[in-house]
Amino acid sequence: MNTSTENIKVVDHKINYNNLVFYVIDTTNSILNIDHTMGYDALILDASDPEYARIVLKKIRSHYNPEFYLKPVFLLNFKETKDPLLNNMHDGLMTSYDQVVSMSEVAKRIFLKTTQLDNQLIPSFEGQTVKKVLNYMYTRDIRTLKPIVDLNSSIGYTYPELSINFTNTEEPQVLEILEWADREGLIWPDFYERVYLCNNCNSGALSYREVCPHCNSANSKSEDLVHHFPCAYIGPISDFQNNIDSSLNCPKCNKTLRHIGIDYDKPSVIHHCNNCDQNYQDAFIKSKCLSCEDDIDVKYLVPKTVNIYKLTRKGRSAATSGFLSSSLEVDDIFGTINMQTLRIMLHYELEKVKESPAQKTSIALVHLENIFELYNKIGKKGERKLLEELVAVVRENIKSSDVIAFESSSTLYLMLTNTTSENAEQKLMNLTALTENLIKKNFNSFKVNLLYKVKMLDANKKAEVQLQELSKDFFA
Amino acid sequence: MEYLDEFFNYISSVSPSKLVRVFWFFFFFEFVRFFLVDFTTVLLWKITAVFRKKRVKEGRNLFWAEKPLISIIVPGKNEGKHIFKLANSLKEQTYQNFELIVIDDGSDDETKSICNSLKKNGLIDIFLSNDVRGGKASAANLGLRYSSGKYIIHMDADCSYDRDAVENIIVPFYYNEKLGAVGGDVQVRNYRESLCASLQAIEYTDTISIGRISQSQLGIYRIISGAFGAFKKDALDSVGGWDIGPGLDGDITVKVRKMGYEIHFEPTAICQTNVPVTFKALTKQRLRWDKSLIRFRVRKHRDVFYPNESFRISNFVSFVENITYSLVLNFKWYFYLIDMVLNYTSRLVFIIPMNFILYTINNYFKFIVFSLFRERKNVKAEYFMLYMPLMALYFGYYLRLVRTYAYLQELIFRRSYEDSWNPEKSSRQAKSLKL
Ligand SMILES: [Zn+2]
Ligand SMILES: [Zn+2]
Ligand SMILES: [Zn+2]
Repeated sequence: MNTSTENIKVVDHKINYNNLVFYVIDTTNSILNIDHTMGYDALILDASDPEYARIVLKKIRSHYNPEFYLKPVFLLNFKETKDPLLNNMHDGLMTSYDQVVSMSEVAKRIFLKTTQLDNQLIPSFEGQTVKKVLNYMYTRDIRTLKPIVDLNSSIGYTYPELSINFTNTEEPQVLEILEWADREGLIWPDFYERVYLCNNCNSGALSYREVCPHCNSANSKSEDLVHHFPCAYIGPISDFQNNIDSSLNCPKCNKTLRHIGIDYDKPSVIHHCNNCDQNYQDAFIKSKCLSCEDDIDVKYLVPKTVNIYKLTRKGRSAATSGFLSSSLEVDDIFGTINMQTLRIMLHYELEKVKESPAQKTSIALVHLENIFELYNKIGKKGERKLLEELVAVVRENIKSSDVIAFESSSTLYLMLTNTTSENAEQKLMNLTALTENLIKKNFNSFKVNLLYKVKMLDANKKAEVQLQELSKDFFA
Repeated sequence: MEYLDEFFNYISSVSPSKLVRVFWFFFFFEFVRFFLVDFTTVLLWKITAVFRKKRVKEGRNLFWAEKPLISIIVPGKNEGKHIFKLANSLKEQTYQNFELIVIDDGSDDETKSICNSLKKNGLIDIFLSNDVRGGKASAANLGLRYSSGKYIIHMDADCSYDRDAVENIIVPFYYNEKLGAVGGDVQVRNYRESLCASLQAIEYTDTISIGRISQSQLGIYRIISGAFGAFKKDALDSVGGWDIGPGLDGDITVKVRKMGYEIHFEPTAICQTNVPVTFKALTKQRLRWDKSLIRFRVRKHRDVFYPNESFRISNFVSFVENITYSLVLNFKWYFYLIDMVLNYTSRLVFIIPMNFILYTINNYFKFIVFSLFRERKNVKAEYFMLYMPLMALYFGYYLRLVRTYAYLQELIFRRSYEDSWNPEKSSRQAKSLKL
């Protein structure tokens, strides 16, 4: 291609080059509404103000839509920073607009790779997040997830490609997701470092110090104990000191101490607490959490391994051909059955419907559309608690012969026996209100988008097919 | 049979004066000192108890009114397993205003973790640990340094104490303010474990307990057992605590005496201890004890014999008595032996058994008579009756031989400085400074 740099001009924040439109973002863009970049092929982000650049870059890369998070972003006027996000989540550095020439090649390579991606929806929060990271890594030819020291991260380390989807304080969740991806066989861990986290808030910002075992105060004075062999006197070194010179004299026999190991030694150390006046040797080591201010005995800290993760074969192909999550942890919530059992039960239900056509049975799909935003905040334990409460509410409002099955932590199926589709519709409207209320009340006024679809069982179709149709109708 | 006839013939044929000539050692020394003197003083002690009663009662009231803080110091190496039992049993004491201070002297077993957990659970008040062993004296001194009680009680981790032992050992301070230290009565807990232990149990009840009552009466009581002794903190501080030596027991008492304090033996403050169960272990223990007589009476504290300003007649008598009866008599016995061999060669076959009979009769008599004076017995007296004949061998030969060996070793080679009881670094210093 024969293109000269002369026709590179910025017009109204845009550069047209080589059939690509670059959109330039600098502090004069009042935007920060990322939707404005929709449709542009690549972005040039002015990084003279790293603070600003960081905010914009994070908005782009943490977006749920591949249109944004996969968009090539080039940094202009970038100066080396300590920010792992800014350092790692761009696609190239520019010092002048002329470099658009080479950047366009980079962008095209990314586009090519983007077209190869599989767009399957993974039915879990972890799955979705990991797929997103895998997509990004694939389009950028990244093979490892490497932890980088980050003072802003609550655990002290950050995995830029993954952590960008979370806030600094949500960093412990990043570790959970990595553990999940490890269990799924998508990534392979290599030990990198161990961190200890607060057992209350999971923060790694801890201040360690020796404290008095009696009153937990760190206000103490430590002294060597000195043993004078000839007279067997033993006491803190201050017993031997004087105000005049630096010689040490035994308070019992008045002799001057001469030579350590010969006439005296220091068999141990003693601490004196200035707060409660106790003497002790077995100082406790406590760590104060700088985030929640809990004072924790070190043995109760939560140890976590920070690994370097390499993509496995499954992980490498997951971006282009998708992957099946093998373990749905929502399986064993009390009051539910798993999808396998649901299919079998539907099969028998169909037999019954065939025999007595008067009997009507409905199936319903319920989807909590934006629930991952909440899971993101409340973590794995909170998620489980929420689902358990949800099941309890649903169970109260359906018959005992009805069943609930989770397909993922955001999608569940109901089988409602002796229920026409109209009745089912009515029931689900009630349930929607109840669920929305429940979540709103328990989770800080979070407003969940609950969507559902109801279908009456057709005696002439296979159970499996009917479930697929329901899902297809819903997500189409 | 023929021998027995001859034996009785010989015995009955000797005139009283001849009897004394042949058995002079027994009559002049053993009988006089260990029976007559002890018996008279103990009898006197029993009789005067009536007069003391009021004083003791007032002292006890005074003690309970003041309720002083008492520091109990337990130094030791690798005693973790015993400490738990000790700390628990101390909760049973009638007197509870004490702090328990445990000093770990360079243990290399789980002692440290056991004690730390006991401390966490409030069973130990102060636990200090030396990474390097410094010897029992320095461990006790470390406890003393961090104690805050008005009285200090020294205990051994592997001993157990009567419910009122702590109270009883402190009360004497409240009716005799000249006291600097009080020793408790040590009894043998494991007397059934072996013959060796049984013999020691008799020795402890007879010679040691009764002997100490009598010594205390005479004002010459000199050894406060390391297993159970109480001190005024002021007194201990003024002598700088314990010095290194082959035993904690004797030396500190002499030092406290030299400061002008009186020492008292309290037979109602009772502690039970495990004694060595084999003669091998017993020999080792006694060699250490006996060497300390030479090191402390004859060497370190020989100034009690000098008529200087700190001279006290009771100290002088105590030392003379101790040295005479232990050291001099020990060697005098060999004179007796030589005397007999040279002058009564043909009669030895009768003299030796006769000696044995005399001693045994004396032992039975002593044991039965003194039983009347013992206020609390851990064993029925009958238990020991069977063992009594062996005591003549135990006292007369076994202990004497051990003692002789110890004295010679210490007098000639100063072996106590090589005793593993103290770390080598301390012994080297002590030896070069002639302590
Ligand atoms: Zn000194
Ligand atoms: Zn304190
Ligand atoms: Zn915290």
